[in-house]
This record gives sequence, structure tokens and C-alpha cells, in this order.
Amino acid sequence: MAHLCLFSLLVLSLVLETQALTPTHHLTTTDVARLQTLLSQPFTDLKSAYYSVVGLSKLGISVADAAETCRFIKSNLDPSSVESLFFAAEASQALPGCEIPVSNDTRDLLLATVSEDSTASQIHQSVSALSSLGLPLASQEVVSALKARISKEDNVLTIILALQTASRLSQQAELGEILEEIEDLAARLDDLGGVYLQFEEGLEATALFVSAAYALSDHVDMEPPLKEDQVIQLVNSIFSKKSWDSLSEAFSVASAAESLSNNRFHVPVIVSAQGPAAISHSQPFLRLQVTNVLCKPLSSASVLVESATATSSKSAILSQAPFTLRDGVFELNFMASQPASGYYQFSVAIAGDSRFVANHVELKVKVSTRVSINNMDLSVVDKDQSIGPKTTRVEYPAKAKASFMADSHQIFAMTFQLVDETTGVELTPHQTFVRLHNQKTGQEVVFVAEPDSKNLYKFELDTTERKTEFDSISGTYALYLMVGDATLENPILWNVADVVLKFLDEEAPSTIQAKTLYTPKPEIQHLFREPEKKPPTVVSNAFTALVLSPFLLLLILWFKLGANISNFTLSPSTVLFHIGHAAMLGLMYVYWTHLNMFQTLKYLAIIGSFTFLAGNRMLAQKAVKSTSSGLYT
Amino acid sequence: MSNSVFSVISRFVEEYRSSTPNKLKMIDAYLLYILLTGVFQFLYCVLVGTFPFNSFLSGFISCVGSFILAVCLRIQINPQNKRDFLTVSPERAFADFLFAHTVLHLVVVNFVG
Repeated sequence: MAHLCLFSLLVLSLVLETQALTPTHHLTTTDVARLQTLLSQPFTDLKSAYYSVVGLSKLGISVADAAETCRFIKSNLDPSSVESLFFAAEASQALPGCEIPVSNDTRDLLLATVSEDSTASQIHQSVSALSSLGLPLASQEVVSALKARISKEDNVLTIILALQTASRLSQQAELGEILEEIEDLAARLDDLGGVYLQFEEGLEATALFVSAAYALSDHVDMEPPLKEDQVIQLVNSIFSKKSWDSLSEAFSVASAAESLSNNRFHVPVIVSAQGPAAISHSQPFLRLQVTNVLCKPLSSASVLVESATATSSKSAILSQAPFTLRDGVFELNFMASQPASGYYQFSVAIAGDSRFVANHVELKVKVSTRVSINNMDLSVVDKDQSIGPKTTRVEYPAKAKASFMADSHQIFAMTFQLVDETTGVELTPHQTFVRLHNQKTGQEVVFVAEPDSKNLYKFELDTTERKTEFDSISGTYALYLMVGDATLENPILWNVADVVLKFLDEEAPSTIQAKTLYTPKPEIQHLFREPEKKPPTVVSNAFTALVLSPFLLLLILWFKLGANISNFTLSPSTVLFHIGHAAMLGLMYVYWTHLNMFQTLKYLAIIGSFTFLAGNRMLAQKAVKSTSSGLYT
Repeated sequence: MSNSVFSVISRFVEEYRSSTPNKLKMIDAYLLYILLTGVFQFLYCVLVGTFPFNSFLSGFISCVGSFILAVCLRIQINPQNKRDFLTVSPERAFADFLFAHTVLHLVVVNFVG
């Protein structure tokens, strides 16, 4: 039972850790302006006119000179091309009061293109043109043509075009099968690191998929099978690129942005703090911009702080506090809750529309304050405590009038308090340094002042202890106090006083040696390996003679024993054998002096086989002779 | 004590002189030669030093190897051992001796440096 509890707790904690995603990439107002500029370029042909006009209309912007554009479209229209008709029809639809003249031939051409033999792009263009020009079309035929096309060509772009086409058809048509393609296509998206979700075909395909999927879903009024996290990942992928290579890419991003802002099911919410998320007494309002992906503020939203906790103490400061909307920006007076300085974790919820996606955001807010130094007391205390300390109080930013003298019998001490200027609460900033600067030699030594348990800062300087830091150089040192922290608005550098230090055993002030890191180093002489000591040549020669001497002894002994040379028959095999054998011995000598193993083996094989044959012959003859003559005893 | 040792030695020498065939005596002389060569090499190493150690090793191993091969030849040739070596004729033994020596010298010359 306990194990089950523990296990469920573990699972729960894992689930809670994987919070809903929030968009990491979104278009800012400058990005939207850039998109608009790109789409407002003067157009060169009908295709670019289509992209510009329809793209701008998706951003909610109308073209500058509608009449001129309409004239341009009409003059560039080629009634015999389906593509041209498509561009013209769609563009004219976006322009007010622009009508394209339609002839029967045009209508027939467009209707004829709707068949299984045309490509998906042709079917899409003809259906869209028919729909924009207000001509009737047979939805069921289109559906069957699309289905046939999808089964023939299974690639991503074909299916996206099919989805777009289906969104222009009558609602009575059987669009169920095509609707299912959305889910299949969504499964083909590549998940990159859990942050991005895109097709390997690229940004344009992903953006067109989003606009097509939502267009069709809105048309049939069925929620698209995309989870919240997937929608956010798609937002990240599509809006991560802030400058677009081509007009078609910009157009696809604009249509994706429009569909994500205006569809009936999912509206991603972008929350960003205006400026740094930092507040202080001079700036008590936390301002948030809550917009859709096109950077248009969501006025219908209500923004609520679910909880605000201090990161250091984890105590909740706020709970369920609403933001007020002012000039399109949501603001909250956080300083009214009188938070102590530091960092706070805000959990913000945006409500108001069930379509909102990623409407829970975590924000880190910094509260900064001003610090003031109280009770700065400087004193020189005698080590043996015989004379009482004289304490001088110095007020910031003044400097102590008299300089303090400390030699080896005395200790220089400094105490002070750091408090929040407005609330009087004691502070412990990250940086509290005491810097002593010798004006004559330019030397400086920095110490850290530590607070005690009552948050009172203390600094003590004992000249005998700190001799090494100062290099025992006596003289007048200017004393500075440095206070700094990320949450302080007024970091302090204060020349508090001058201190005259006297060290014992003063050495002559050594000139600080310039670092010899980058000067050439002494050259290293390589020491070659000493050859081993060899014995003198005389000794070697003597021993060589000694080692060779037993050979003479052998010859003498053999002669004395009566070597049987007389039995040496001069048959060819014997002669050849002896020559071969001598050659082998000669080869050994040559091997020692000149050859390597491989060459030797080669020669040895030749000579050896020759010798073997000769020797075999010779020994056989010998054997025959000895058995016949019975020489063996 | 020394008397008996001396008499044993003299008797052994007498036996050797008379009953050993000439062929074997020749091989024995060869063995003595090899032995002395090895001893002199070792003496050099002990007295002067092992400077070209590989050379010393190869020379010494050559002596030892030759000694062993010659002993094998002697055993195989000895007519008193004929029953043990029915398949090996003296000529065959000599041929083996030569072949083994070829291999030994190949290795020795490779190592002597």
C-alpha cells in the first residue's frame, strides 16, 4: 500500500514537472512590420501580385492603390492558364470592387481541370478560382478527384493542397476522409527537441499545413486533432525565422499567423513583459503585453496572477490578483503588496476565451530597491585594550576629516549597517568590499566585509596579520566601501576615509615586476643520447682472436684423428653439394652485412633447394656405398 | 679418494681411445671446439661488459645451438644406438643436422646486428 502511494506520488510529480509549453519564439511588432514591408514590395508579375495582395489581406492590411492593382491583375491575366486564373481570382477577391470578367470558355476550362488526371495543385487552383469567381462546381467530383490524387501521390504538399481545396467546397460534401488526413499529416511532423515541430520539407510546408488544417476545421466545425503542446511547437517552428527569403515563404507565414489568430478552436497566447520584468519604488507597475501571434492585443482576456512567491523564502506574496487593462497593456501594482527586494516567481493565467492555448505562464520578476548605509563607525583599537577605542561616525557620502593611523600595536575597525531606504529592513547585498588604495604606488588591496548574526557589517584590519597582502609597504591608503547587488538600484562606491598604515620590517618598495609571461623563454638545448662507453679496440681485437682460436685447435685435432679426405669422390653431386653449402655460408655473411631477412630467404630458398637436391644425391650414393662395403662397424 | 678418481679417469680415457669409432671422435673434437668458443665469448662478457648485448646473445646461442645439434648428430650416428634409430640412417641424420644448422644460422645472423 505504501509502495503504491509512493509510486503514484512519483508519477504525479513527473506529470506536474512537464508543464504545458509556452511559445519560445513569436513575432514582435517589428517582425510583423518587416513581414508587411516584404509583402508590400512592388510586384513584377501576377504571382507576386497574388502573394502580396492576399498576404497583406491576411495581416489585415489593405493594399495602397487598389484600383491600380486591379488594373495590373486584369492586364496580366491569361485566360487560358488555370494558374493565372487562380492568382487573378484570389487577388481580386481580396481587393474591394475588383471584378474579373469570366467567359464560358474560362468556366469550362476550370471545370475540366477538376479530374483525377490533373495534379493536386491544378485541382486546388481551379476549385479556388471557381469559388472566388462565384461559379458553381460539383463538390462530390472534386472530393473523388482529390481522394484519387492523394492515393497516387502521398507527399506532404499534395495533402496540404487537398486540405485547402476541401475548405472551399460545400459543407454537404463528404469531407470526412480528407479531414482524417490532418491527423495523418500531423503524425509526419518532426519533433525537434520537444520545442519545434516541423516538416522536413521546411518552413513553408509547415506554415501552409497550419493554415490549411485550420481552414478546413473551421469549415466543417470540427476541432483539429492537434494537442496544445503541438500547437505551441508549431508556433515555435513557424515564427522562429524572422526574415524570409521569398515572397511565397512570407505569404505562408502570414496565412499561418492569420489562421492561428482567428480560427474557432485554438488561439495561442503570447505573454511578454514590457521592458525588463523589474519593479521598484520609482516603477511600481508590472506591465505585461498579452497578444495573439500577430501581435494584436487580446482585449477580451482577463489576466490573473495565480500566485507570486519569493524565490529565496518560497513564501507567497500574492494570490489571485487581477491585472488591469490600460492602453492595451495589462498592469499590476506589485509594490502595493510591499515586497522585500529580490526575485519573485509569478504564475500568471490568462482567461476569457476557451480557445486560448498556452495561457499559463511563469515569469521571473525582480524587485529592486535603494540601499542606504547607517551607523558607519570607524575606530582604531589598541591590541592590548589599554586605551579605549575612539569611534568616529561618518555619514554617507562625506569623508572622514581626519585620517586614521594604525601601526603594529593597533587594529583598525569599521562597522556599518545596510538598510533598505524606504522600509528600513536590513539588507545583505552580494558585494560588500573594502578597498584600500595606495595613491603613491598604485597598489590596491580588497577585502570582504562580513555581516554578523544581527546583520551588522564588520571589517577589521590588523597590520601584522595582513602584512603580506600589502607587501609591507607603509603609507597612506584611501579606504573605499563598495556595495553592489543585482537588486540594488544605487550601487555605492564611497571613499570613507584615509588610513595611514605602518608596517614593521619595511622592505624597499619593490617595483612591481612586469609579468614575464610573454617574453621569450630560455632556449632548451636538446641533449642527444650519449653513445654507450665501448671498451678499447685492443681488448676487442684480442678477444676476437681468442674466440676464433679454437678453430685452429679443431683443425689440428681433425688432422690428428685422421680425417678421411681421401674418400672424397669427385662426382658432380658431391661437388655441387659442397659448392651449394659454401654458397649458403657465404649468403649468411652477406645477410649480416647487406641484406634483410626477406631477400635472404629468397636467395636461401634458391640455393637451399639446389643444395638439398645435390646433397640428397650425394648422401644416397654414400649410403649405397657404405651398405655395400659394410664400412660400418 | 683421489686415487680412485684418477684411476677412473684414466680408465675412461683408455676406453674412449680404444672403443670409440673415428667418426665419433671427429664429432667430439668439433664439440670441444664449439665448447671453447662459447666459453671464450662468455669470458669476454664477464670481463669486459655486455655492451652489444644482442651480439653476445646471438654468438652464445649459436654456440649452444650448434653444440646441441652436434650432440644429436653424434647420438644418431652412434652404431650402438642403431636399434633406437631404425628409420634414421646416418646420412639422414647428417642432412637433418645441416638443415637445422641453416635455420639456426639464419636466426643468429639476424640477431647479431
